[in-house]
Amino acid sequence: MGTPVLMEPIITPSERPGPAAVRLVSVVVPVVERADDLEALYRTFAAELEARGVAYEFLFVLDGGFPPPPELTSLARQPQVRVLRFARTFGETAALRLGIERSSGDVILTLPAYFQVNPEGVGPLLTALENGSDMAVASRSPRVDSWLNRIQTAVFHRMIAGVTDQRFHDIACGVRAMRRPVAEALPLYGDLHRFIPALAAREGYLVDEVPVAQHPQDAGTRVYGPGVYLRRLLDVAAFFFLAKFTEKPLRFFGLVGSVCFLAGAVAGLVLLVDRLSGTGIANRPMLLLAVLLVALGVQLMGLGLVGEIIVHLRAPHRRAYRVREQV
Amino acid sequence: MSARATRPGDPEVSVVAPLYNESQNVQPLVAWILEALAGYPAHFEIILVDDGSRDDTWAQVSAAAADPRVRGLRLGRNVGQTAAMMAGFDHARGRSVVSLDGDLQNDPRDIPALLAKLDEGYDLVCGWRQQRQDKLLLRKVPSWVANRIIRRLTGVPITDNGCSLKAYRRELLDRISLYAEQHRFIPALSASVGARITEMPVRHHARRFGESKYGISRTVKVLVDLFTLKMITTFRSRPLLGFGVAALPPIATAALFCVLWAIAATQFGPAKADALVFPGVALLSAGVAFYLLMLGLVAEVALSSERESANEIPTAWEIR
Repeated sequence: MGTPVLMEPIITPSERPGPAAVRLVSVVVPVVERADDLEALYRTFAAELEARGVAYEFLFVLDGGFPPPPELTSLARQPQVRVLRFARTFGETAALRLGIERSSGDVILTLPAYFQVNPEGVGPLLTALENGSDMAVASRSPRVDSWLNRIQTAVFHRMIAGVTDQRFHDIACGVRAMRRPVAEALPLYGDLHRFIPALAAREGYLVDEVPVAQHPQDAGTRVYGPGVYLRRLLDVAAFFFLAKFTEKPLRFFGLVGSVCFLAGAVAGLVLLVDRLSGTGIANRPMLLLAVLLVALGVQLMGLGLVGEIIVHLRAPHRRAYRVREQV
Repeated sequence: MSARATRPGDPEVSVVAPLYNESQNVQPLVAWILEALAGYPAHFEIILVDDGSRDDTWAQVSAAAADPRVRGLRLGRNVGQTAAMMAGFDHARGRSVVSLDGDLQNDPRDIPALLAKLDEGYDLVCGWRQQRQDKLLLRKVPSWVANRIIRRLTGVPITDNGCSLKAYRRELLDRISLYAEQHRFIPALSASVGARITEMPVRHHARRFGESKYGISRTVKVLVDLFTLKMITTFRSRPLLGFGVAALPPIATAALFCVLWAIAATQFGPAKADALVFPGVALLSAGVAFYLLMLGLVAEVALSSERESANEIPTAWEIR
């Protein structure tokens, strides 16, 4: 295996980074859809890190489709700031990935491009890392959203809870601190950034939620178009599949395929009985349905088998476990 | 995993035991293994793998690791018996490796006999539980049926595939990679890389502490997994052949219905409405066959980059 495979949720075992003092914090800010004054954001959080006495660097990653804000040039001149811009639209996950790749800190702090939590919340996150967590995610509490947004959040979390062992309360919060090896082990592609805490827990890392005060500017009502909700739903579906069936694709495709196949077979039998008792069946739509279902079932099972063969041949290079401690 | 060079000072034998919520069993297990191997001439190690237990298994393992011959691994989360065993195998340093359950149902006193058998020139020695101490209907009957089917399908003459007490040569473990829930198919997977396999009777005890982690529902899963494994081991190096074989029945169906169609058309005239069923079925069957052949090609393409992986190299065992 030469190049690392993007779609690898399970990676070769390595030891946990373990508790240690934070030396350099790389703050990665993906600027994708929504942004407040970036320079103000930088100043506020830099001051907070300064007050804690940790070294830091800021990486702003602008998506290609995002219009460059007026403060960009003066921001880029600030000390400890790097600004990167995608040539075209790649999305938030890709922005995080690039930021992590280009950063050099032993701790990565992801931060949304708008005020989501109060700056004082950063301290407890770093403390959690120093106390031995591999990842500390902020959980906005008390949450002062409108009821509409709260219902959205509840539904989203309920769906995710079906997949992960660990329950999260604010998985969509963009403020997360993690050790570098953890950040590099995350399978970040597509829109999986929403599931970063769950992905890390699935990799066997220790993830802690830290309650952090929500920033007043974050509290307004947000309403999205139907397209956004559809995409969220597909994200959850993709994550669900990734978490449950990457090791055994045939369990999924085989189940769906055999249900189709059996339904088709039953319909075919009914038609056969009808035909034998003298009723003509050639013009019945059910005939088409029966044959189609059988064909679909065979196809799905075939797909599952191809998946199984690929998983099998990759097995020597991957391990499902991660060692947390050794004695 | 690449083969690790054994260093001088490494133990000759590694005993691997996966543990999941077995807090009360840890100390007795370690004591029992140490007692059973007390007179064993070679240097050995015990590797306890805590598979993300929710009780204080890890505290017990840490305490047991005060003995220099005992090592403990704690996994980040519960990954299941197969992956936990792999963790133990990956960290084992011995030239021979023994696996056993962490629930005291296997008897460590059988280990020296397994190792002696291994030295007769086998790569895998499987335990065969005598007088199995489990519930008849829930455990023994499904297991008996599953074992018969496994024997039939894989052609590996092992009576008791589900017994965890097994002894392996390092070279074999370097060649098989277990994932999902494949620990039950170790004999079959080993046979597919050409291992020399035998079995011998071992003792079996009733559970003393804790609860069994299995129910009857797994039998169906085992059978699905078995079917998958059979397909994979048979066709992994030539998927197009496999899909070609699978495409034969639809091709035959398509041909049959073409003939029926022709007969119907000549006998009753093309206007006969009832004859529409024949071209319909013929075309769909032909479509399925075509699809399967294309899928076989996709599999060939997808695998071309994975071909160099270790289990594609024909095995040649070193004669000792």
